[in-house]
Parts: sequence; C-alpha cells; structure tokens
Amino acid sequence: MLDIGGDNLFVLEFGDILHYYTPYTATLFLVALIFTGLVIASRPEKQVDIAFGGDAYYAKETTLSEMRFRRFMAIACGLATMGAMGSGDLFNFTLFASLVGIANIGIVAAVKSRHVLDAAYEYGIVAMVATLPLFGGAALILATTGTLSIPALAAGGFAVPLVGKAFLALGVIGEGMAPFYAAKAEMFRAPGAPYVIMCSLSSLLIFLRVVEIVITI
Amino acid sequence: MIEYLVFAAAFGLLLLGLHRKVIARVQMRPGPPVWQEILHALKFSFKSTWVPKTASATLYVGVVLIGIGIWSAALFVVLAGESILILFAIYMLHKVVEHGFGLSSGSPYGKFGGVRSVISAASEIPLFVTIAAIYFFTGSLLLDDIIAYQTVHGPLLLIAPPAAIAMYLVILSKMPYGPFSIVEGKELVSGYKTEHFGVWRAGIAVIDGTKTFVLLFAFVAIFIGAVPFSLALIIMTVILVSLSFVCAVTPMLSPYDSVTVQGLITGLMLLYAGYLWWVMP
Repeated sequence: MLDIGGDNLFVLEFGDILHYYTPYTATLFLVALIFTGLVIASRPEKQVDIAFGGDAYYAKETTLSEMRFRRFMAIACGLATMGAMGSGDLFNFTLFASLVGIANIGIVAAVKSRHVLDAAYEYGIVAMVATLPLFGGAALILATTGTLSIPALAAGGFAVPLVGKAFLALGVIGEGMAPFYAAKAEMFRAPGAPYVIMCSLSSLLIFLRVVEIVITI
Repeated sequence: MIEYLVFAAAFGLLLLGLHRKVIARVQMRPGPPVWQEILHALKFSFKSTWVPKTASATLYVGVVLIGIGIWSAALFVVLAGESILILFAIYMLHKVVEHGFGLSSGSPYGKFGGVRSVISAASEIPLFVTIAAIYFFTGSLLLDDIIAYQTVHGPLLLIAPPAAIAMYLVILSKMPYGPFSIVEGKELVSGYKTEHFGVWRAGIAVIDGTKTFVLLFAFVAIFIGAVPFSLALIIMTVILVSLSFVCAVTPMLSPYDSVTVQGLITGLMLLYAGYLWWVMP
C-alpha cells in the first residue's frame, strides 16, 4: 500500500471491515474530534446586524429549540466525518460522506430565514443528485475488482477504473458542496457559528480524505 | 521542541515586517521598522483582554488555540520530513480557522471576512496540482523522499516549474496586502481578525508568523531540496521579497475578481496536471 499519508499507526478491525489510521488520516480525525468537542461546548454567538438605512443595529438570538436541533445535527456531522476519516472500506466511506451531506442540510435547515432556507433547499438538491456518482463510483469499483476494501485495492493487482475514482471524487464534492460556495455564503447568514463551521469543516475533511483514497487505490 | 516553535514564529514575524517594509519602499513611503510585527505581537500580549458579549466564547477562544496548534503541527511535519499531504491538509484547514475567527464574534465585519475566506477556497486547488505533479515525478509524498529525489535528479523547481509557480501563487494568496487578500480588506476593518484583540490578537500574530515560516520553508524543501539551514533562511527571505514586490505593485482585487483569477489559475494548473498524467509513464 502506498504510504502517501505516512506509515500505518494502527488498524481497528470490525470483522472483515477495518478502519486504519496513518499520520494523515489521524490528523484529519483529530481535527474533526476537536471541532465536535467545540460544538458540544459552545453556545451560539449573537450575530450583530445593522438595520438598513439608519444607525440602529440589533443582535440575532438563537432560540433554545433551534440551538438543540442544530447542535444535534452538528454532532452527527462530526461523528460521520470522523467515521469517514478512518474508514478502510469504500462503501462505508460513501455512507459516511452521504451522512455528512444530510447532517449539513439539517444544520442550516432549522434556521427560520428565507435566504438560509433557499440555500439549504438548493444544497439539498445538489447533495441528493451527488449520491448517484458517489455510490455509482463505489459500485463500479466493486463490479470491476470484486472488493471494496481500500487496503486490498491499494495493495495492487486490481485495475481500478479511472471513471470510478472520478465518480467518487465528484460525489464527495457534491456532498461536501465544495464548488457551491456561493450558495454556502447565503447559508452563513445563519447565526450559530459553531454549527455552521461544521458544514465547512466536514466538506473540507471528506474532500481531503477522498484525495488520499483516489491516489491510494 | 519549543525553541523551534519560538524561532519559527519570530522569524516568520520578522519576514512579515520585512514584507511591509519592502512594500512601503516600493511605494516610496518610509514604512515601519522590520521588527514591527514582533513588537505588535509583544504589545498585544500585555493588552487588556476579554471576550465580546455577542461572541460564542468557547469558539472565539478555541479557534486561536486550534490555529496555533495546526501550524505548530505543520512545522513539525516539515522538520520531520513527513507526508506533504498533511502539510497541505493543514493549509486548507486554516480556511476553517479563518472562518471560525470571522463568525465566532458576531461582528458583521468579521462575518464578511469569514464568508470571503470561504468563497476564495478556489485558491487552495492549485495545491493539489502541486501535490499531483510532485507525485508524478518522485513517486512519493514523503518530504524526505522528495528531498532525496532532488539530491539525485536536481531541484524540482527546474524539473516541474509550473508546480513551483502553483505553490508560489498559493503562498501569495496568503500574504497580507496582496492582490488576493480579500479576507482582510480595509472596507471590513481587519476582516476576520477585527474582533480579536489583546492576547487573542497576539495569538493570531503567532499563527501568521509560524504559517509564513512553514510555507516558505516547505517551498524551499520541496522545490530546491536539501540546503544548509542558514542558506534556506536566505532563500526564504529572497522569495518573500519577490512576493512583496508583487504585492506592492498589484492592487487588491475585488472579491469576485479575486475568485475568478484564482479559478483561471486553477484551470491552467489542472491542465498541466492532466498533461503530466498523460505523458508520464
């Protein structure tokens, strides 16, 4: 197996499914863990907005019920991201990536603002469509090679189709909404920095992980 | 190990001071003394400090510590000759830290700095072209292997100049007062840094200093190879002065122009990576 992320630190086995951690994936895992801890420990900020056309300004309040729901979704997002960082199985990785997409929609969809809800709806459509290449990529690789184990694929001897890798990357970009930042900026009108940051962080981390997977297999 | 961190932060701040001085001299202003950024960091360390009433307190403080943590880790990755994929992951995670700085205070200036940070994520993609090009040539992403490759074949700067240009542009996009510094635009006061003051601002200075040192040191190690440490510092200074000239003569682009230009650069670099993939055995 290529050691592009450094030598294996340890392997966690669940029957024939395994999670492996290199310095690279362990770093990503730790970052996800730290930010999930911050989500648990932080309360949302009071976003200050200037009333248009005057000198007045006001601070947006986040209600307790909204905060609880968004915190729950942000923690789910953090857990899914941590799962995706160490996964040694392509199918599990795609499941975790799609869970990140769902949790991201949940983080913003609880905000009662037209702009934010519009952006959440648009992202929902993109994330839903992106599951097709995401799972399609994994299915293509399974159909061609007969395995979904990343270490087995990385060990060589399999002709992993390029289109499968491209589909995986495309699916992750869609789930992580990386190229849809214009819509994301609308989402960031939402108060609740600790939760909104999980959207940004999880997108970035699953993108960084898929880069490693695509180079490795 | 702490002495490495202190040296990296101090030398990085000295480089940022030199950056301001060179820009000022090119623009025919006297400019601040080169140690100004170090003085700033020391001054802020002793200023009175609190957390704004509107801020998400834990996140407001936490991002400062995370920023220092990730760049300290990046320094040790470079010094230990570990995978440059980790280094570049940390570089991209800095985007999230900037975003955290901007959003956590509740200030509209910080928020727009954070949002600009997110929309300018296109500037990170050339990093992966750099990684891809290096991997095509060296067959490894471990810094030690890359340095060993250059000892035999010569500097990657000559073998893969577009990859070096890509990383140069990535460093340029992180330099203050540069064409792509939209996250710190003066119309946003200090952008994402606006509401972090006192000790928190000193923490940001440490992050900026360490980041500058790590990125320039990594550039030397990746594209020039093994050189004595003192020579590496001189080369880093020369690269920084060249960046300062670019910043001095280039106006800051508007956010959308900045993203467009970075997108075009990314497209060109992807073409180069595709070409390498096609021609390399």
